[in-house]
Amino acid sequence: MRLRPFARSSIARVAVLHALLLAASMMAVLGVVYLWTARIIASEGDELVSVEAQSISADFREKDLDAFVTEVVDRAEDPWIRGGIYEMRGPRGDFLAGNVVVLPELHADRDGWVEFDVDVVHGEASAPRRIRGRVLNLDGGFHVLVGHDVEDRLAFRAVMLRSLAWALLMVILFGALGGWWLGRRISQAAQAITESAGRIARGDLGERLPVSGSGDEIDALVSRFNDLLGRVDTLTGTMRAVLDSTAHDLRGHLNRIRAAAQDAHHTAQDPAQVESTGIVLAEIDRLSETLQGLLRIAVAESGTAPLDRVDLSQLARDLVEFYEPVVCADQLTATLEPDLYVRGHRQLLTQAISNLLDNAIKYGGTAPIRVVLTRDGTTAVLAVEDGGIGIPEDERELAVQRFRRLRGSSGLPGTGLGLSLVSAVARLHQATLKLEDANPGLRAALRIPLEP
Amino acid sequence: MKILLVEDDRRASDYLTKGLRELGHAVEQAFDGETGRMTALAGGFDVLILDRMLPKLDGLEIVKALRNAGSTVPILILSALDEVDERVQGLRAGGDDYLAKPYHLEELAARIDALARRQGDAARSGRLKVADLELDTRARKVTRAGRKIELTAREFQLLEFLMRHTGQVVTRTMILEGVWDYHFDPKTNVIDVHISRLRQAIDKGHDVQLLHTIRGAGYTLTDDP
Repeated sequence: MRLRPFARSSIARVAVLHALLLAASMMAVLGVVYLWTARIIASEGDELVSVEAQSISADFREKDLDAFVTEVVDRAEDPWIRGGIYEMRGPRGDFLAGNVVVLPELHADRDGWVEFDVDVVHGEASAPRRIRGRVLNLDGGFHVLVGHDVEDRLAFRAVMLRSLAWALLMVILFGALGGWWLGRRISQAAQAITESAGRIARGDLGERLPVSGSGDEIDALVSRFNDLLGRVDTLTGTMRAVLDSTAHDLRGHLNRIRAAAQDAHHTAQDPAQVESTGIVLAEIDRLSETLQGLLRIAVAESGTAPLDRVDLSQLARDLVEFYEPVVCADQLTATLEPDLYVRGHRQLLTQAISNLLDNAIKYGGTAPIRVVLTRDGTTAVLAVEDGGIGIPEDERELAVQRFRRLRGSSGLPGTGLGLSLVSAVARLHQATLKLEDANPGLRAALRIPLEP
Repeated sequence: MKILLVEDDRRASDYLTKGLRELGHAVEQAFDGETGRMTALAGGFDVLILDRMLPKLDGLEIVKALRNAGSTVPILILSALDEVDERVQGLRAGGDDYLAKPYHLEELAARIDALARRQGDAARSGRLKVADLELDTRARKVTRAGRKIELTAREFQLLEFLMRHTGQVVTRTMILEGVWDYHFDPKTNVIDVHISRLRQAIDKGHDVQLLHTIRGAGYTLTDDP
């Protein structure tokens, strides 16, 4: 199990694969070379023996026995016939001529070929040598062995095999090294891309992936990706600029209207005028509140809000403590796991959770409200449960849409943007908002990735 | 008090000037950043109200120029930008408070009042006293007429905030920002409930009530309402 990370790393995989492929192809090439060479050498030796055997057969037919024996003796002793092996036996197996004594023990194969080891005297040294030859069964029960020393051939084959083995070993070694280098290059590039992409995902749109400068395919991919990021960055920047100027414009207008209305309200003498200007002021404030809500949702959704390390446990604890006095005695209970940190926008997160608590208080009636913060693996789960009327399952998806208010909530204050903001803030934090049945009531759960 | 208002929106500036003058303040207006900067640098103001986006020179640049010149005049930044992140920028540049448009005149008046009467650093630490109510920030101890009052950490912070603004009106938003660092409208009367809890703790059983509600504006802690 300890080997798993190594085996899983792409470096190891590429290295092993590279080495194996290289070794396999090398083995194929060298194998063919070896088989060919071996066959050519073998057939050369065999041909020599066959020619010699034909010549001896012809001699046997043409000459009388004594001349033939002399001929065999000559051939056996002729120093020019290098590696030539001869032995002749009579019908009763008696030795007649030759330079070896092996014939009685030989068993030829189907084609009449034999192979055996024999001590051949070369000068003073004698060493066992491998001989390959044919046994000729001549008329009158005579047997003649015509052989050839194939020891050199075997030695050559051994040398060749050894060289091939070494070559293969080298190939595997260099293959693994090359693969490791190649894998490391790819894996380093991949890691750099992964790290940068992580920072980009956390909202740093100005970040660009590193280009190695080698101009290879990875560089091409990276620079294409950077172009894409540039476009996203520009688009987000434009969106944020549009958002800011829209906000600036609308708020400026509202500000002037409000100032004028307030002035009119202030200077009004007629009670009817005081009342109507008062209504105008209240409506302007409602409008501002709605605009504010929409702008915050837009800011959260634009993904341009800067994120920091936030102590979610502390944030939840403060909010619970903040709302506790408005809930009927001891009806708000909180179970909060300490020290859960997330990467987030403190103000927006606070407002989102506040909206959940506000909803629970507003729609939960007098039933107890439970706030639970737990860790689930690498995720923080913050759930707000109330014992109120809840939201029917088929309406839950609608509930997070803008300006969507629940049935029977028309008498309660609110802009209908509360859950939309929660959902937008959740997306900003790569979190999810889930509305579930708390039996009775609603359980709103935010699942936010923890920051290590 | 003497106020410099740098705001390019002439109408809004005029309304605000009128409102502030009715409250008894002397207001000088500037309509672009450059003029605003020159006037502000000339000095002589108790409070500066700066719009964030101004022609010729950004409001934040005026703040920086003033702070670089060693000026400590209290500055309130007014902005029509969403205050979620802009607020941080404004305060980081050297602003003392931040208010988003559209604002209520009462809110703005309360804030500049608080800014102008901001206590020096010497008074920031140590003991605060209003009538027979005493608060020791170091010992985290509160007494009224010599009797110890038990408060939660947050109640203590709330009381400290009110006592630092003794005699001034503090709005709900100011309390929300100053005590909890929350920058949204909680939509419930939660601040009122916190205040009434604190009132129970410090005023109950005493003839002189110190914590007063100012209708339509906020609260004030004083023995001289």
